[in-house]
Amino acid sequence: MSGDSAYEKMLQECLRSELRLVNAALPTSQKPLSDLLCEEYPHVVCTDGSFHLFKRRELEYCAGITNPDEQEALLLPMIIEVGGGRTEAAVVCRGQVEAKVASTVLNMPITSEQGRIRIYKPQLALLRKTLKTTTQYVFLRDSPH
Amino acid sequence: MPQLIKVRPTKTELVKLKRRLSLAERVQKILKDRLTILTMEFLQVTRETVAAKQRLVDVLAEAHKALSIATGYHGYIALEKEFIASEADLKLVAGSRNIAGVRIPSFELTGRHNSVTGYNLVDTSASLDHASGLFREGLDAIVELAELQRGLELLGMEISRTKRITNALEYIIVPALQVTISYLHMKFEERDREEKGRLKRVKMLVGRG
Repeated sequence: MSGDSAYEKMLQECLRSELRLVNAALPTSQKPLSDLLCEEYPHVVCTDGSFHLFKRRELEYCAGITNPDEQEALLLPMIIEVGGGRTEAAVVCRGQVEAKVASTVLNMPITSEQGRIRIYKPQLALLRKTLKTTTQYVFLRDSPH
Repeated sequence: MPQLIKVRPTKTELVKLKRRLSLAERVQKILKDRLTILTMEFLQVTRETVAAKQRLVDVLAEAHKALSIATGYHGYIALEKEFIASEADLKLVAGSRNIAGVRIPSFELTGRHNSVTGYNLVDTSASLDHASGLFREGLDAIVELAELQRGLELLGMEISRTKRITNALEYIIVPALQVTISYLHMKFEERDREEKGRLKRVKMLVGRG
């Protein structure tokens, strides 16, 4: 019988590698905006050893809408959680500065709930349009709530 | 009609199949989310590529027009002399960014935002400054377009690959696993019924004896 055939094993391995692929090359750490502004080539190192390069234009945009204290508190790239059985995405925020940035970009009032800012797909597209390199997707397997 | 997977009708195989089904469904959910995000990004990049291409065409057309005017004013030989003097190396920072597992190149021109043009400002006119400014804008547009166009290609390839896997999961793998699991359940129920019938018969024979 072919229950454990090589084809089946390969198929299972392919599916597992797909799970690994979606969250490949995530940044190993986040850096404060104030530090990134001082770097010649603003970047963070990813889990696969590659570099995630920030666009200076985006960093300057973020710096323009925050004060020096908030620049210290704003950790980049901002993490956007997708999936986990939810229809909407969530921006992970430690303080109020992420909410302020998202609110300015989306031009609407935003409140964070349990360390997350919930945003819908059209808003997500708008956020990503403005903050391409300063945001990063993370795919969740299960809902954290 | 999904194809039945050939397995031994045992409880161990049933457990294995259930595990496989759970993995396949998990992957399917994540891939659907990924496909949604990739499609959204693809559409965004497409819009930006069209806009960048249009901007490049407009800027270069305007720049060539301005250069023609400057050439007419200064003369070709004088302008060429100024251009040789204003030659400079460009610095392009190349990196990458990650969109849902797809590595997209990222380019940025640096060190060009100073006001030093390189050519002699005394011997040249404002028309040359205008042409020079437009060509600088054109250079920015070329770099931006290169980044966007490569991103578009990579996203397109990844979308078609992900779509193929999602379709295979949705229409072949998951239905086949579900059908096989339900077949095994039916097989076990049938075995139970046979066992009950056999026991009844034995009981009857024992009762007669």
